[in-house]
Amino acid sequence: MNYDEVVSGLILELRRGTLILLVLNQLKKPMYGYNLVKQLEESGIPIEANTLYPLMRRLESQGLLKSEWETGGAKPRKYYALTEDGSIVLERVKKHWYEFSENVNLLLEGREDEIQRND
Amino acid sequence: MKYNEMIERYIYAVTKNLTPKTRSDVAKELHSIISDMLDERCGDVLPTEHDVRVVLTELGKPAELSEKYNPDGGKYLIGGLYYTKYKLVLKIVLISVAFGMSLAGIITTIMEQNIWYIALAQWFGTVFSGLTFAFAFVTILFSFFYHKGIKIDTQSDSPDDLPPVPNEKTTISRWQPILGIVISVVFVVVFLVAPQIFCVLFTENGEFITVFNLETIRSTWYLIIFFAVLGIIRESVKLIDGRYTRRVMNVSIVTDLLSAALSFWWLTNKKIINPEFVRRMTELFIGEDEAIGRVFANFQYLFLGVIVFALVLDVITAIIKSLKYAENSENGIMHA
Repeated sequence: MNYDEVVSGLILELRRGTLILLVLNQLKKPMYGYNLVKQLEESGIPIEANTLYPLMRRLESQGLLKSEWETGGAKPRKYYALTEDGSIVLERVKKHWYEFSENVNLLLEGREDEIQRND
Repeated sequence: MKYNEMIERYIYAVTKNLTPKTRSDVAKELHSIISDMLDERCGDVLPTEHDVRVVLTELGKPAELSEKYNPDGGKYLIGGLYYTKYKLVLKIVLISVAFGMSLAGIITTIMEQNIWYIALAQWFGTVFSGLTFAFAFVTILFSFFYHKGIKIDTQSDSPDDLPPVPNEKTTISRWQPILGIVISVVFVVVFLVAPQIFCVLFTENGEFITVFNLETIRSTWYLIIFFAVLGIIRESVKLIDGRYTRRVMNVSIVTDLLSAALSFWWLTNKKIINPEFVRRMTELFIGEDEAIGRVFANFQYLFLGVIVFALVLDVITAIIKSLKYAENSENGIMHA
């Protein structure tokens, strides 16, 4: 069995949704794409530019992000920022993330008896 | 190749199949990101060709990046890059078929003085089968292009092998193939449904003499449709590539040759011209005007001549412009 291949496939699946959450969160204040790539990289979350750019564009078409070309500087840059709808969505997804990841961690550590049920 | 040229080619390869709305924005964004990546890599030092190559390779194959930018991307019958063009061609073909059939229907009703509701019912029948055929054909054609095109697109992996950005002379504007499709579809539909539209009215007894032998036309319907099919294939390839590529040249040569052969066979072997028309026209021009009468006696050759002339013109344009475009790309590589 090629472990590396299977593991990287699973990690890719795990990362996909998480990255969207992070991108939305970081864009509470406007940033251009490459800036965000660097920032995430420095925080230990490597993301490739060719993944981030199309992703931001998709989130923009969903109305979660908005963009604006900043032509004042040395070179034109497209700044992305969270919209109002985006911030509402972000808060709800974040809430879900906290609960979900906590339960996942408890399960992984074999402490299922500590899981608080919402019902 | 100068490194700017390499960047331009890369961006063109990524954006060429995106919708016109997003194309320029994505191009601008890619410029900005490539420039950022080069700055990051080289700092204040001027980037070399090698740096550009590394950065572009890091960004990934143009076709893959293009798929990511395309909201329709993925594995489908007709996938992302081709889907927008499929929709466009489908729209044009369906509208042309409906228009041509309505035109033919009106002509037939007037000329044959049919009862209108019977004519309407017949018209619905023909339009329905015509549209169904057109839909199926365009869908199959584009699904073929898509599955074949994917292979062609991903062949060029290295930034050095990318095709050049076409200049004005080697670009094909969208309107040219669109017009080509409309004309060939409308013509063929009218010809097929109401060939009696081409007729001469003899005033002395008020009768219409048709130019073509209606029975022969009806019995060779598959040849006429094949003629339109060849036209749609040729124009669709032009629409997809948007520039005179080798593929456009090859497809033009093959389809034009086939069309010419088809017209030649159709017009010379089949009794396509109404003998009554030839007889009456030659009778009409006797004496001094005999020369004119002879033209009508050989009417199918005149018709053939016009078709072949148009096809030859198309082939020559395609060859000259494609060679010019190929020359551009070789020049680009020679600079390297």
